[in-house]
Amino acid sequence: MLGEIIIGIISAAVPLSITFVLVGLGEMFNQRAGVYNLGAEGIMMVGAFIGFYVEYTMQSGPGSSTLGMLAAIGVGAFMGGIMALVCVTFKAEQGIAGIALYMLGWGVAGMLFRVYIGGTTTIVGLQAVNVPLLADIPVLGPIFFSQNAMVYVTLFLVPLAWYMLNKTVWGLKAKAVGTAPMAADTMGVKVDRTRIQCVVLAGAMAGLAGAYLSICQTHMYADNITAGRGFIAVALVYFGKWKPSGVLFGALLFSLAHSFQRSIQVYGIDFPYEVAVVFPYLLVIVVLAFSGRSNIMAPAALGKPYYRELRD
Amino acid sequence: MMKIFKGILLTIAFMMVATVCLADDKIKVALVIPSTIDDLAWSQAMYEGLKAAQQELGADKLTFEVSERLWNAVDAGAAIRQYAMHGFNIIIAHGAQYQSLLTEIAPDFPKISFAYGTGFATPEKNIFAYDPHAQEGAYLLGILAGLTTKSNIIGIVGPVEAGDAIKYNKGFEQGVKSVNKDAQVRIAYTGSFGDLVAAAEIARTQIKAGADVLTGTSQQSVGAINIVAEQKGLYWLASDMDQKSIAPNTVLAAQAYTFKNVIMEIIDSRAKGVYGGKHLELSLANGGLQLVFNDKIIGNIPAGAEEAVLEAKAKIIDGSLKIDIK
Repeated sequence: MLGEIIIGIISAAVPLSITFVLVGLGEMFNQRAGVYNLGAEGIMMVGAFIGFYVEYTMQSGPGSSTLGMLAAIGVGAFMGGIMALVCVTFKAEQGIAGIALYMLGWGVAGMLFRVYIGGTTTIVGLQAVNVPLLADIPVLGPIFFSQNAMVYVTLFLVPLAWYMLNKTVWGLKAKAVGTAPMAADTMGVKVDRTRIQCVVLAGAMAGLAGAYLSICQTHMYADNITAGRGFIAVALVYFGKWKPSGVLFGALLFSLAHSFQRSIQVYGIDFPYEVAVVFPYLLVIVVLAFSGRSNIMAPAALGKPYYRELRD
Repeated sequence: MMKIFKGILLTIAFMMVATVCLADDKIKVALVIPSTIDDLAWSQAMYEGLKAAQQELGADKLTFEVSERLWNAVDAGAAIRQYAMHGFNIIIAHGAQYQSLLTEIAPDFPKISFAYGTGFATPEKNIFAYDPHAQEGAYLLGILAGLTTKSNIIGIVGPVEAGDAIKYNKGFEQGVKSVNKDAQVRIAYTGSFGDLVAAAEIARTQIKAGADVLTGTSQQSVGAINIVAEQKGLYWLASDMDQKSIAPNTVLAAQAYTFKNVIMEIIDSRAKGVYGGKHLELSLANGGLQLVFNDKIIGNIPAGAEEAVLEAKAKIIDGSLKIDIK
């Protein structure tokens, strides 16, 4: 019984973590390049709506979930482009622009939902499937081989992000413009262009993360579906010390804590629910407090616009 | 020249007086809600109530404006003050969390009626508190759950342990226990009213733990209903509104709030010169609460369950059955 509960907790945590991993990986890229985007939450909301809407209009026909997610990636990239235009091209204050983008996303998604849907409606979405044979493996089967397809895609994106960041010229440029933009510029790296690429990529990832919530997790759309997950993901990038593996670890830990506290409540274990609900957040704070000086790992030019004209 | 000027002045004065007179005729209601008018739960129930009141009185007698997504008390306070300064007669802040805000604002506008709920305290003379007896419908739904469950595990997807949710959960548990002593009622809260992803996750966890009949309150419950509907042979019991449109094969019955009566009572009181100070109850007896069965699937449940519910309903209405929520 206890074993089953533990497996249940872990297998529920894995799909929960996917949203955080997707947004977190994207946010890691734009922070590595020196831009932080608090608007990820707003992009997620629009992505969640667009993904849902595409599948809804196709009446959940074949391929509609995939098309929905591709559309969410597109709209996310577009919103990332807006953020890049404001913060990189026009050098606006990133925190304020991010909050504005969040509110814009919330408003736009809510308005589109009301105009084109008008009420609570469901879609089939992307359901969890048991991988033949592998799903029957004890312990590992239910945890890793009874999930929806996006779980596998996302877990593949983690090493891919590591590779892009550390083993490609583009990744090195991204890190350079976030650490020492002036030096990078001197070496011929186009600072603004690289930053724009990173912010657009992060937007696309946030859009996909939103669609994951509507298409894979709830199979519906409702106002404020993200409920702060975009902001949590931004915090998890700090938690993960700007590394793909760190983001994955943070997302898994946070989701495990959530899954754990829900099981405590459901199985009627005598524990104050108020404490259970805040447990994941407490855990993140405690780990952050004891994980040493994570700030020294931060990209040195994070949050600072680059003015080419002001070079010495 | 002077005559023309006087004429213009007189015309303007006449138009202003006419506008004020006309404005007096019309009741202007403002509604401040924490989520949206299409949440298929708490906020929409009040919105539908306002629409029904408008239909009864006529659009020329009652107009209303709605401000959505104001769960944040600071934003809600700003909206309420703005409505008060723009000549609205009745301002409804639809949530228990707005009580202290109204207590602060209401004394500045003694001729405006303010209302909030779930609540019973009326700290100012111009504040109404409305109070759905969620425990009554919940008790009936509990009976239905207790007689329908096969696994003897019933799951509640709760929002925050406060106000309506406490009354609902307590009533529901008592209803279950009144007919099925062996059934377990497992409650898990999301810690939020609007996090439908968390509600969906709790529903999944409840189902994995063996629950075959589930229920829950607040706007987030739509997220849970959809997950329950994806499994065969499971049922959901709805609160706030009849939510069967989301899952016609899963939502077995619902407790629906009829807020129209509250609005009409506030309007009637104002007509008699009473601007507040009343505790307005919504109960099965006064029609503020409705029990709605889903005719499509109600035949699937064990024989006698529906009759047991109706019998208990009659007892609640005639006062012979009281549900204690202390």
